[in-house]
Amino acid sequence: MSTVATKPKRGVSLYSYSSEFGVSMSLEDMFAEMQDIGGYGLEILANSHIEGYPNPSSEWLDNWDRLIKKYNIVPVEYGHWVDSRLYEGRELSVEESLEMLIRDFKLANRLGFRILRTKLGVIDEILSPVKNWKEIIEAALPYAEQYDVIMCPEIHAPTLLDSEIVKEYVELIKRTGTKHFGLNVDFGVFETQALPADHWGPNDFVMPPSEHSRVEDIIPVLPYVYCCHAKFVKVTDKLEEMTIPYEKIVNTLVEHNWNGYMLSEYEGPNKDVLGTAPYQVRLHHAMMKKILGE
Amino acid sequence: MFEKECIQSRGFKNVTGADGKITGFQITIRSHYYRGVWLSQLRPATITADGETFTGGQITWTINGVTYTQAEMAAIGDVHWGVLEPAVLTVSKEGGLSSGPHDIELSYTYSCSYFPPFLDTVLGSKPQKRTLVLV
Repeated sequence: MSTVATKPKRGVSLYSYSSEFGVSMSLEDMFAEMQDIGGYGLEILANSHIEGYPNPSSEWLDNWDRLIKKYNIVPVEYGHWVDSRLYEGRELSVEESLEMLIRDFKLANRLGFRILRTKLGVIDEILSPVKNWKEIIEAALPYAEQYDVIMCPEIHAPTLLDSEIVKEYVELIKRTGTKHFGLNVDFGVFETQALPADHWGPNDFVMPPSEHSRVEDIIPVLPYVYCCHAKFVKVTDKLEEMTIPYEKIVNTLVEHNWNGYMLSEYEGPNKDVLGTAPYQVRLHHAMMKKILGE
Repeated sequence: MFEKECIQSRGFKNVTGADGKITGFQITIRSHYYRGVWLSQLRPATITADGETFTGGQITWTINGVTYTQAEMAAIGDVHWGVLEPAVLTVSKEGGLSSGPHDIELSYTYSCSYFPPFLDTVLGSKPQKRTLVLV
């Protein structure tokens, strides 16, 4: 381990701007916004942000390269899905799932991403992954190595960090010794307080409250955490997140020399009201900057 | 850029058959979901025009210049409908609609494998409504 103190870095998941994309903001506008707030780490969602997915044109790819350079963007995480319920009435086989994964490995590699937020299908209300998840992941490992990508399931509420499924993920990493499977921790797992009902807008989907993880529960899994979704619900004008203990989380990451990217993911009120998400992401970065002492 | 609404005001028109007779009408929409979907993830759409309901085989989808029946789409898992790609929904209705404003409603759902299975028939199910003017 390096003796030089290292710190988490700031970035943005373009998921935050979902309501703006194609309506008030283009891909270039979102990159320009990231540059403006100094959050250079990028997460895209393959199915949303790659025009012509899964076969973007060479013009689109050239423009991608140009924009990445122009705005000094760092491709950090490539969000993709294995849509296990692609067809009504049955689940995808291991072979079909593998085909989907390889298609995304190639594209992620071409676009400059190493970390993948690999979203597997789930089978129940506590978000247990499909029964054959281990087979799918293990079959994909040689290809992940070939295309130099790291598949990371997202640990997302109501899943807890100290849970059976996280233990199973870690067990797979230890057993295979792979460097191509890891974790993405969504800070929503640390949500200690629900946002008061009167803060939500009329069209908002409000996540039901669930049990939360203690911040220190991230420490034992940190060696396997390649990046984090810096989930947030509402940052006040005084630069405080109302539901998630950010100061404690960021300080814990700093203390343990974790230097990956925290990718802002806005999931708060009035996301569908144009202008809300960019405003909130800016507040979120002002807050993270302050905590990081930048 | 799109209008914010799912149902776009542009692209609302009657369609004519080879013999010049009006066979139906069309609306143009954008996806109201934040990520693109494979055609087989979509569940058949229902459209109402001034209270008259159209379903199943009465509706086709045209995406990137290719037209699909709703029955065909259930088996097409390798064609992707992106969030920046408009879809044209064509509704069979002899004589089409009259010139002027019409109340249009659209609803469809889609599977979302990373959410609990029961949500596949819930997500996006809120009807999209708009008054469109046929010129």
